[in-house]
Amino acid sequence: MIIEVNNLVKRYGDLTAVDHLSLAVNDGEVFGLLGPNGSGKTTTINCILSLLEYDQGEIEIFGQPMTPESYNIKRDIGIVMQNVAVYNELTVYENIDYFCGLYIPNNKLRKKLVLEAIDFVGLDEYSKFYPKKLSGGLLRRLNIACGIAHKPKLIILDEPTVAVDPQSRNKILEGILELNRQGATIIYTSHYMEEVEHICSRIMILDKGKAIATGTNGELKAMINMGEKITVQSNYMSAEQLAKISQLPNIVSAEHNSPLLVIKSSRGTNNLETVLDFIKKERIQHSKIYSELPTLNDVFLELTGKELRD
Amino acid sequence: MFAHIFIYRLKCLLRDKETIFWTLLFPLLLAVFFNIAFANLNKGEIFKAIDIAIVDDVNYQSNQYFKTALNEASQGDDRLFNLTVASKEKADQLLINNSISGYIVVENPINLVVNRSGLNPNIIKSFIDNYMQTVSSVNSILLADPAKQQELLSSLGNRQQYIKEISGTAAEPNNILNYFYTLIAMACFYGGFLGMREITDIQADISPLAARINVAPVHKLKTIISSMSASLLIHLTEMLLLLIFLRFVLQVDFGSKIGFVILTTVIGSIAGVTFGALISALVKKSEGIKVAILIGVTMFGSFLAGMMYQNMKYIVAQKIPVLSYLNPVNLLTDAFYCLYYYDTFSRYALNMGILSIFIVIFCVGTYSIIRRRKYASL
Repeated sequence: MIIEVNNLVKRYGDLTAVDHLSLAVNDGEVFGLLGPNGSGKTTTINCILSLLEYDQGEIEIFGQPMTPESYNIKRDIGIVMQNVAVYNELTVYENIDYFCGLYIPNNKLRKKLVLEAIDFVGLDEYSKFYPKKLSGGLLRRLNIACGIAHKPKLIILDEPTVAVDPQSRNKILEGILELNRQGATIIYTSHYMEEVEHICSRIMILDKGKAIATGTNGELKAMINMGEKITVQSNYMSAEQLAKISQLPNIVSAEHNSPLLVIKSSRGTNNLETVLDFIKKERIQHSKIYSELPTLNDVFLELTGKELRD
Repeated sequence: MFAHIFIYRLKCLLRDKETIFWTLLFPLLLAVFFNIAFANLNKGEIFKAIDIAIVDDVNYQSNQYFKTALNEASQGDDRLFNLTVASKEKADQLLINNSISGYIVVENPINLVVNRSGLNPNIIKSFIDNYMQTVSSVNSILLADPAKQQELLSSLGNRQQYIKEISGTAAEPNNILNYFYTLIAMACFYGGFLGMREITDIQADISPLAARINVAPVHKLKTIISSMSASLLIHLTEMLLLLIFLRFVLQVDFGSKIGFVILTTVIGSIAGVTFGALISALVKKSEGIKVAILIGVTMFGSFLAGMMYQNMKYIVAQKIPVLSYLNPVNLLTDAFYCLYYYDTFSRYALNMGILSIFIVIFCVGTYSIIRRRKYASL
């Protein structure tokens, strides 16, 4: 076990930011903390890192209690903050070298690690640039390089792709997977469900400081009734037709907000075929029809009654 | 680890243009401004003979003693008066035109006519009073013992001083020095910009950068000592440059105790840097508010020390003496002042002692706030 958190509670006055949260992160996994803004992801991370005082709970990292003085534990942790945390007066190389130097006293080894980190995040051409000269995406990459240059066993990335262009985002996500392949255990917090679905081997969904579900991508989706979402583009449909669709086998709900008819089905086979047959039989005018498997947003929606995107 | 943090802090601070402006360029510019503004201030202290007139009438012409006394006071390079002998109408006209500070009419008693009070009319009046007292004394003595006339007349010109002035210093009085001393004291406390930045960069509840440093396996005390050492080195260098500029470019006189002047600057620099650190640790607001507080407190302290109005230093010392000792900018200013004017060190030592207590308070206060390992909120 790399991290074990038991019954963590963090309050800010009357607000409970983290509410009796327990989690366990296994060696070698990419563990995702998914939740909307304000759900307690960053607060949880800050408690784990012993930056924040908390009201209740125990936190262990690498099998030892985590305290601010746990320098042996800290030596093997890399942190990438939500906000870019670099010195504007230092170049790309100097920034990475400075932070790496807080972990690696050996100059020769440090130089090698810094160059590897620069190469890893693709900032070779920019090593003499000052942060102000970098674009948002490149700045995020520098932020990551500063956190991972010392090759930690545990890397915590707190929303590292906020306000990043798609190209840099893909580069960052691929980099995270590569770090994991190289042996690092990753904790990844985000409110972007696509990212979490893409890179995390196990996911905890948070809402209002509480863990509402934990599991692999497949396990989370298996927790809800919805098996398939069928969307039909149709401008007109009578109320009678809509009611009939709702009564088809395995159909859970059908809603028509012109021009979209959204049909949710429970698990089962041939649901799409059944819907197609009905549309053909009723001669309902339509353009596109497509089917989707449930997303983590659907999981969040079913478990909390609200959209994750909100 | 010390060297690693120290070197990178040097790089960071030296490349921080805003900090370098406030800690080095601003005091230099202000020094140049002071030099231009106060260039003629000392010239105001040179005594200039007072323009007066005497009404040329029968009484004046017949009063030989007064005529002689007045003529003697109006002759030579160190004369007291520039005398114009004129009719009453002409004397009135000169007074209206402000060409003279006053005119004298020889009557019984001798009258002085002025159109406003001030130093010059007071000097003229003192001259007349002195003359009248002497005449009165002579008359009294002659009435009592007419035989003394010859002896008295021969001794009239010999004035005997019964009070001896002993100067506490060999230094020449200089009206502009205090302005420059307050400037140095202000520059010392602008070192607070450096101390402020050090704390901002180490307090996880202030900046994400500091949070990243807090999760690194380095003891906070080691980090702060390395960083503050870099800040102090930079600020001491800046202060040394300022002293060199003042002494050799602007020709500001620091007296003969140059070693103590440098020691005072070093202690002032430490006080300034630690003061900024305390403000940063104490005030949980944005950087802009902290900077405003630092500048505000330093400038108010400089004002009370006489930076904008020299006499303020003496007003504070007279009306609220305790404030003189509670104002670290004034303590520094006064320390430079003592080094220039006094041959003894008692007042200087008192200033430095109190300033050292301030440094201890700033350091202990700062560390007691930042030593906490965890924060209630980030």
